[in-house]
Amino acid sequence: MDWIVQKLWLIPALPLVAAGLSALLKQRQRRLAAALAIGAMVLALALSCMAFVSALQHPGQGSVVRQGVNFFWFQFGDPRNSDAAVWLGWVLDPLTAVMLVMVTLVGLLIFIYSLGYMAHDDNFTRFFCFLSLFAAGMLGVLIANSLLLLFICWELVGLTSYLLIGFWYHKPSAAAAAKKAFITTRIGDLALLLGMVWLYSQTGTLLFYDGGHGCLEQSALARLVAQTTTLGMAASTGIALLIFCGAIGKSGQVPLHVWLPDAMEGPTPVSALIHAATMVAAGVFLVARVYPLMAAGDGGGGAVAAALQVVAWVGAITAVFAASIAAAQTDIKRILAYSTVSQLGFMMRGLGTGGVAVGMFHLITHACFKALLFLGTGSVIHGCHEEQDIRRMGGLRQFMPITFATYAVGMLALSGFPLVFSGFWSKDEILHSAHGWSVSHWPFYLGVFGALLTAFYMTRQVCYVFFGSLRSRRREEDLIPLPGSTETKSEPTHVGCYDVHESPAVMTWPLVGLALLAILLGFVGTPAWPWFQDFLNGERAVLAPGKLAEPATLWLMALSSVVVISGMGLGWWLYGRKPQTDPGALDVLERARPDIYALLRRKYFVDEVYDATVIRFNSWWARSCDWWDDWVWNGAVQLVSYAVVGLSWLNRVFDEYVVNLGFDRGCRGLTEGGGLMSRLQGGGVQGYLRVIGVALGVLVLLLLWGCHAS
Amino acid sequence: MTGAGYMELLKLVAPESIMVLTVLGVLAADLWGLRGEELPFRRSMGAIISCSGCAGAIGWMLVAPQQANFAEGILVVDPLTQLVKVALLVLTVCAILITVDTDFTPHTGEYFALILLAAVGMMFLVSSEDILMIFISLELTSLSLYILTAFNKRQAKSAEAALKYFLFGGMAAAFTLFGLSLLYGFSGSTSLGGIADAIKGPRLDPLLVAAIVMTLIGFGFKVAAVPFHLWAPDVYEGAPAPSAAFIASGSKVAGLVVLAKVVMIGFKGAEGSAAWHGYLPGWVPVLAVLAGASMVVGNLAAIAQTSVRRLLAYSAIAHAGYMLLGVLGHDGQSLAALIYYVITYALTTLGAFGVVAVVQERVGGDRLSDFAGLSRRAPFLSFCMLVFMLSLAGIPPLAGFFGKFYVFAAALNSDPKNLGLLWLVIVALGMSAVSLYYYLRVLKQIYVAEPAADAIPVRASVLSRVVLALLSLAVVVLGCAPNLLIDKLVQAIRLAGF
Repeated sequence: MDWIVQKLWLIPALPLVAAGLSALLKQRQRRLAAALAIGAMVLALALSCMAFVSALQHPGQGSVVRQGVNFFWFQFGDPRNSDAAVWLGWVLDPLTAVMLVMVTLVGLLIFIYSLGYMAHDDNFTRFFCFLSLFAAGMLGVLIANSLLLLFICWELVGLTSYLLIGFWYHKPSAAAAAKKAFITTRIGDLALLLGMVWLYSQTGTLLFYDGGHGCLEQSALARLVAQTTTLGMAASTGIALLIFCGAIGKSGQVPLHVWLPDAMEGPTPVSALIHAATMVAAGVFLVARVYPLMAAGDGGGGAVAAALQVVAWVGAITAVFAASIAAAQTDIKRILAYSTVSQLGFMMRGLGTGGVAVGMFHLITHACFKALLFLGTGSVIHGCHEEQDIRRMGGLRQFMPITFATYAVGMLALSGFPLVFSGFWSKDEILHSAHGWSVSHWPFYLGVFGALLTAFYMTRQVCYVFFGSLRSRRREEDLIPLPGSTETKSEPTHVGCYDVHESPAVMTWPLVGLALLAILLGFVGTPAWPWFQDFLNGERAVLAPGKLAEPATLWLMALSSVVVISGMGLGWWLYGRKPQTDPGALDVLERARPDIYALLRRKYFVDEVYDATVIRFNSWWARSCDWWDDWVWNGAVQLVSYAVVGLSWLNRVFDEYVVNLGFDRGCRGLTEGGGLMSRLQGGGVQGYLRVIGVALGVLVLLLLWGCHAS
Repeated sequence: MTGAGYMELLKLVAPESIMVLTVLGVLAADLWGLRGEELPFRRSMGAIISCSGCAGAIGWMLVAPQQANFAEGILVVDPLTQLVKVALLVLTVCAILITVDTDFTPHTGEYFALILLAAVGMMFLVSSEDILMIFISLELTSLSLYILTAFNKRQAKSAEAALKYFLFGGMAAAFTLFGLSLLYGFSGSTSLGGIADAIKGPRLDPLLVAAIVMTLIGFGFKVAAVPFHLWAPDVYEGAPAPSAAFIASGSKVAGLVVLAKVVMIGFKGAEGSAAWHGYLPGWVPVLAVLAGASMVVGNLAAIAQTSVRRLLAYSAIAHAGYMLLGVLGHDGQSLAALIYYVITYALTTLGAFGVVAVVQERVGGDRLSDFAGLSRRAPFLSFCMLVFMLSLAGIPPLAGFFGKFYVFAAALNSDPKNLGLLWLVIVALGMSAVSLYYYLRVLKQIYVAEPAADAIPVRASVLSRVVLALLSLAVVVLGCAPNLLIDKLVQAIRLAGF
């Protein structure tokens, strides 16, 4: 076993130590905090690369090679019963290796970028502390070989997400968004916890791989499949669905997607790192990790496991749903947020229809170009002095050429522009697998539509931001919020974009790096050379250019290209041809179909529906509980307390007038007896001597009586 | 008897001989050497000589332990008697040390000599198994104690108490002597073993009954068991404090040990039974009646007392009742329990009398009200008194608790099948609860009551403090680690053959 496998725990431990140390620093020790965080991340990246190399050196022969270390954590119950022991462990397989490199690399770039972005923030130290803690949790999720360890890190990640969304907690909207994110994901986590408990009760272990005894290995899975629960569902399906609920919460899938757009209240690097590239992908990763469980019960004859069907459908619906909302948003970060939700839906569909490799490939490419887009957005926001409304931007390509160029790369990758950009290849893969799915063709149709929408809204956004003329605030009256604007944040101190500027190098270099990745990553997973997929599946990749020319592949690529180009063309036709000049003007779509636009702009009224149903029910329930508490339970408690008081009163009466009197009388009796006894002591010695005689007589008589009696 | 026999006897009675020589030494020193000196100096010198005599005797016994039975029980020396004698000497030393700080007589030499003579009497008393020897020792002790009681010639009370003590004691001794002579006539032997051989039989002769009861009267008087207790309150109250302390401690130890020996060896085979439904005539029912009466009368009468000394006297009567429980068990275990109880009780009551002596010396009285607020006037003395009172009441972890526990357990274990003495133990437990009341009354005066407005701090001399501190330390240590004493006792009793 390689050294790196033994020491894999160092990868999350380093950022954890950095977080712990920087938590102790003073607020003004900014350099030290940043150095700690970035240093830990550099080391973690180096170790991750070693882990990746190690995984490369152990290519699978048709099956995945997993190396890991399991260790005993604690014992509960009977020590002789090995079932009652809790084991933890870590595992290194291609999935982990790829994710480790991706998270540490993107994380490192974003850490560096944050140096510039957060330079003026007072709580710089705290920010890096939280970021490091997040990295530790995320890397822990990746290496965990135990659902319990994964869950622990998963919750840690959720906590840091909460802390970082609410980083500017003095803004009410940020505090509310943090709360919303935490509570919404908690719903999913509850299901995950239930699934975990169920899994443990069925298999007696939470280790994924344990030399044949792990819960994802053949014997345990066979047992789970054989076990039937209510509704004729196999236990494996029930557990898988519960675990998938956790993934739904974390990855912002419908219907728990509502927190993710609001989470954009956090600092932009946080949005890029946590809410675009890594943490939200943890849900996808979780599904990929427990894929054997999801796919269990995949009976012969091509029937697809019920859990995987659910995954595919949820993904497909989310993808189109979120993409359509993104088309009508005006906040630059929210557009990307919905885009993220949509892309996560794509990944889920990929996992559901095509397996781990398909979903994971899109996850990796998406992480790069979405981080790129977010960092570009951050650069734009930074350059425009905290402006986030795309209607107040425009023509920025002249002021921010590097940002524009890199952003364009990200936008083309996300849209899936043919051949050069990574998004094309990964999305194509998903469409391909959806097309071949035996259950239904609808995910494929939805996917195509989603791709069209993606291209459209990205073009719309780029047109708004980088083309046309600058529509920044110049006059005082512009300080009035635009109609429909959701912004609640305090106004920036100096208004206006006439001094729009390119961001510093510390921010642009990560952009360039990510842009290169966004292009290059695609080529490791083309149909001609599906190295990435084969690596994950433990097979040896073969270069086969002929595959590109196969009619099915070719046909799909052509269709995809046509869809993307038409989506971009539509966007350009609507927004790029005649750029908006007035920030207050109506959107093109709004002019055409105000009803649909309003529906999309208000996000299908999901928040309102939740407000009207779940939240109202919750408040009503809370109120009624309060009422019950006040009147019924409290009344009962009061009644009991009155009863107790009454009883104690009775008791007191009894005590005072019966026991005490009796006791007093007893005591008085004793005292009087004492007095009597002491009065025996008359003082006359003649009396004393008489007593001796009497005593002699009495005692002798006593004994003699006994003699005669016996 | 040959010369060698006398030499052997001299060796066996070496501790007692040392004590007698010390008596002469003290008298001579006070008569010739110290006549013209100041009184405190004379007291100190006398105490030093007496204590060194006691220390010499203790040292002799510790350095040269012996085991012998001289002339069929005239003198028995074994680890048990030596241990009891060491305890007696320790008590004597403490009583002497308490005396140093009191000022009631100019005749210090005579006073110390009498204390030492009483101690010699007690030592012989516990080491003899012959009725003649026992009676002589008893008289030596008693006569010394009568005089000690009368020693405060400035107070009529002292003389009155002594006279009552003397008359009562004389009468009791007469009964005992009569009883002993009957026993001799019955058995033709003066040794306890010989008497036991003679009285063994299925039925008790009426004459023997009278003899047993009469004999027990004298010992009942010695340990102050009801109804032979009537002298005790007057003596405890009227005698000089050190005398009272010595009577309450040393005399009690010697009396109980000899009583236990007489009934367990001499009346062996005439036990009878005091079981609730299994009454059989013998010495056990007699002592059971005495024990029950002592516990009830002693505890109840103590409640009504206002003088702390009288209170201690009734408490002593009550404790005599508890101790008789140990005698009633009549086996090795109960003898160990009895001796543990009696020694720890003696230490405790000696300490209590020491505190009373100091307070009486400074305040001028021993009323309960004289102790009001003592905790603020003399915190150290008050703390010692707290330890002594709680130990007397039998609060764990003090020695008094374990003493009671062992004695009660021994009384129950002596007849484990039908728990014949359970009724007596129940009486004892109930009366222990009552006793807590009057002990706490003393402590309430000390710790809760406000001191009188003109109260002055009570100062004890360094010597008294050291003695009291050691006594309370002993009470605590023997309570926390009773095995220190119990193990030795059990071993000694096994060697003595009980």
